[in-house]
Amino acid sequence: MAEENQTNTNEDSKLVGLLAQFDDPDSLVAACNNAREAGYTKTDAYSPFPVHGIDPALGIKRSILPFIVLSIALGAVCIGLGMQWYTNTDSGTISPAFPGYPFKISGKPYFSLPANIPVTFEVIVLSSAFAAFFGMWILNKLPMLSNPLHRISRFKRATNDKFFLMIEEADEKFDRSSTEAQLNQWGAVAIDECRQDLTDNVLPSWFRLVALMGALMLLIPPVVIFRSMGMTNRAPRLHFMPDMDWQEKSKTQTVAPTMVDGENLFLDMRAMRAPVEGSVAWDHLNADTEMHQGIKRDYKAVTSVSTKTGSALTSLTTGQEDDAAAPAEEDLSKYVTAFPVGIEVNAELLARGQNRFNIYCSVCHGYSGNGDGLVNQRAVALAGTGKATWTAAKSLHDPIVKDPAQNPLGRLFDTISNGRSMMGPYKSQISVEDRWAIVAYVKALQETGIKPPGSEVSPAAKTPADEAPEADDSAIPKPTP
Amino acid sequence: MATVNPSLDNTHDDAAERSPLVLGLDYAGVTDTVCKIWEDEKMPKIWWMTLGVALSLLAILGACVGHLIMKGVGVWGNNNPAYWGWPIVNFVFWVGIGHAGTLISAILFLFRQNWRTSINRAAEAMTIFAVMCAGLFPGVHIGRVWAFYWLFPVPTEHLAMWPNFRSPLLWDVFAVSTYATVSVLFWYMGMVPDIATFRDRCKSRIGKFIYGLLSLGWTGSARGWHRYEIAYTILAALATPLVLSVHTIVSFDFAVSQVPGWHTTIFPPYFVAGAIFSGFAMVVTLLVPVRKIYGLEQLITLRHLENMNKIIMATGMMVGTAYGIEFFIAWYSGVPWEGFAFYNRAFGNYWWAYWIMVTCNVVIPQVFWIKWCRTTPWFMVIICIFVNIGMWFERFVITITSLCRDFNPSSWAYFHPTWIDLLMLIGSFGLFFTMFSLFCRFLPVIAIAEVKGVMPREHADHH
Repeated sequence: MAEENQTNTNEDSKLVGLLAQFDDPDSLVAACNNAREAGYTKTDAYSPFPVHGIDPALGIKRSILPFIVLSIALGAVCIGLGMQWYTNTDSGTISPAFPGYPFKISGKPYFSLPANIPVTFEVIVLSSAFAAFFGMWILNKLPMLSNPLHRISRFKRATNDKFFLMIEEADEKFDRSSTEAQLNQWGAVAIDECRQDLTDNVLPSWFRLVALMGALMLLIPPVVIFRSMGMTNRAPRLHFMPDMDWQEKSKTQTVAPTMVDGENLFLDMRAMRAPVEGSVAWDHLNADTEMHQGIKRDYKAVTSVSTKTGSALTSLTTGQEDDAAAPAEEDLSKYVTAFPVGIEVNAELLARGQNRFNIYCSVCHGYSGNGDGLVNQRAVALAGTGKATWTAAKSLHDPIVKDPAQNPLGRLFDTISNGRSMMGPYKSQISVEDRWAIVAYVKALQETGIKPPGSEVSPAAKTPADEAPEADDSAIPKPTP
Repeated sequence: MATVNPSLDNTHDDAAERSPLVLGLDYAGVTDTVCKIWEDEKMPKIWWMTLGVALSLLAILGACVGHLIMKGVGVWGNNNPAYWGWPIVNFVFWVGIGHAGTLISAILFLFRQNWRTSINRAAEAMTIFAVMCAGLFPGVHIGRVWAFYWLFPVPTEHLAMWPNFRSPLLWDVFAVSTYATVSVLFWYMGMVPDIATFRDRCKSRIGKFIYGLLSLGWTGSARGWHRYEIAYTILAALATPLVLSVHTIVSFDFAVSQVPGWHTTIFPPYFVAGAIFSGFAMVVTLLVPVRKIYGLEQLITLRHLENMNKIIMATGMMVGTAYGIEFFIAWYSGVPWEGFAFYNRAFGNYWWAYWIMVTCNVVIPQVFWIKWCRTTPWFMVIICIFVNIGMWFERFVITITSLCRDFNPSSWAYFHPTWIDLLMLIGSFGLFFTMFSLFCRFLPVIAIAEVKGVMPREHADHH
């Protein structure tokens, strides 16, 4: 007679099957064989360890798990190799959003099978292990968090030292009393009814709502992430560890750090160190003064470059007062009057000069060199309203500029290099050869016969002046000494 | 539960006269013996002491890692020319220790070595904790740990870069992370039936809930066991080439470079043998006290320990042979730099490290030729500690001597570790022993189901 050790045997529960207990693995295997021979198919055995010979006794077919693992492993070969090929070759044409990054290392090929085998192997092993692990649980229909078997107190020893045979009620041959008799006949030590509590099947009323809300809340983080990925954001990136901001170093143009004894690290208190006097940066010797400064080779008192730059900077801050004073002492004889050796004036040089002039000079001096560039027009207009201080750009057709005695070639080169009056220095932007090319182009421009705005009103100069009548007077260039 | 008969000797050389692996226990006896560790309300004092010391060391490790992340890797002794200092020494040391666990659980399983069943669970746990310690060092060595995901091929629009798949260091990332993952899967899958045993014996509600979740509803059904055994065999078959590949790839970190003393083809087998050597030494060091404290002498018998000592001696001699072959090839190749690198190892300014290594790895394990030495627990622990000291020095010698004496004499230098180096090495033992202590407390230390599977059936009759 089945022993009842369940509390719930009323109408709310349904019979799942009969569970017979055996005390050793051999009698379990024998009972399984008997059950199979008696025609039962919906059977299962439970044991604390895998019992040998139980598979044929119960008629268990070999699992398909190895083939699942094999197919995943073969897929992993393609994924592993494909990943490495895609990410380390020039695959930008396939997906411009996530292009590959070809590493150029000693001219080696981007994709070479021997070097890509280790990672492919690891990908195969990892995918196969996942397939075996999860495949096994899925085929076993686990995890199963509720099972009527666990309600039988005797069944707790199935993971310890007892062996069980279950014949399910769903089996065609199952009959409550005759099956029980058969089990007793096969040597069952004890028989339990396995009943499923049907009241468990009804979910609590609040559960669906809470589950739905939980599922919706889970969507929030990915939505936030995808939203921020698709947006541009002007705020600086999140900086987890701002160690780069607090480096133990002195930045340029700052005071040198103070030492432990209160002394400054350097006597002059500057963090930056000046180069040793007389040191010349690589490729900056520029010994040929005719080429690099436009000053004759035999001229002795060479004006230092920094003074020129300094005067240009001073004039920026103090206005026009310096203009008259600074160049007054200039010795015009020091400037070269011909192009230096190495600069050959030809059509190619003039074309280069025109190109550079149009880029660097025309913004103030205008394309025709008449001092009507757009920056000049705007600055003159602002100066007229008192919002800016500005000396109008010179017309290059001005008689003084044109005069080879007052403006020899070397002086034009010097003007471009170091600036003059309001004009800034261009030697850091324009190479030496290009500056000479501009000089050549300016001389060619001066031969075109364009008249400067002061001498006669030309239509070209008139038009912009009309647009800014109040600035018109100051636009007329003053004579340059 | 039967008591152990002291006259039973399962270390006898003749298999016919040898007692069975599991001494005098039936199925319920095995379950009770293992579960007693976990069911005891009070843990032994020595467990609390171990956990206390381990937690203090773990705190030191945490402080060191925090300091390192805030200040940068400059707090280590790594500097020109030894850019790889103790961090990689510790990394290779810990990864190597992990290998014995996989060897016991996977390779001995494939070879049907039934004696592995009592020790494989603890050995696999040791693998996982050792790989955790190993992963820590390269993990923090990358400097900007918050950008760790750059190690993996993550599609990012702002970075527009991918890892270099032809670099052995990247192979290492894949090998070690795969190894850690597969080891955890293998360990957890093997544990599920035993966690189900815990679930069915547990009395507290919290314990029932946690072990109930972890056991995934395992019932021990025959169909379940059928698929489980297939999956277990597949995982073992996957873990076997994996464990060989991991230390091979670790050795590629060195062997693929051109530094004299590193650029050798012997490195992969030599590293794998060394890994098994040090790993078995660590298993013995852990299991001798564990079996004593928890009364597991009937499950982890002297024969288990003796078998492991035999493997230690065998792999120790493989490593010793590799040391000799390295010198032979250095001479035979006729390459002056190779010749100098090895002369310098033995007789240069790191001679002391080299001879510590040779003494601990080659000379000392020879005592296991004597049966008393390999069947006396306290003595074998001392030998095994020497082996692990020697194996740490092996990685030290390989890394430091070659880097400090490379091709260019103007860059030669002497490596000086900092106190952070030292504390992090000690702290990693804190992490390891904390994890191992918790494992002993909360999880089945012995593979209960597997032990029952290899027990002779007549033992089940008397109860």
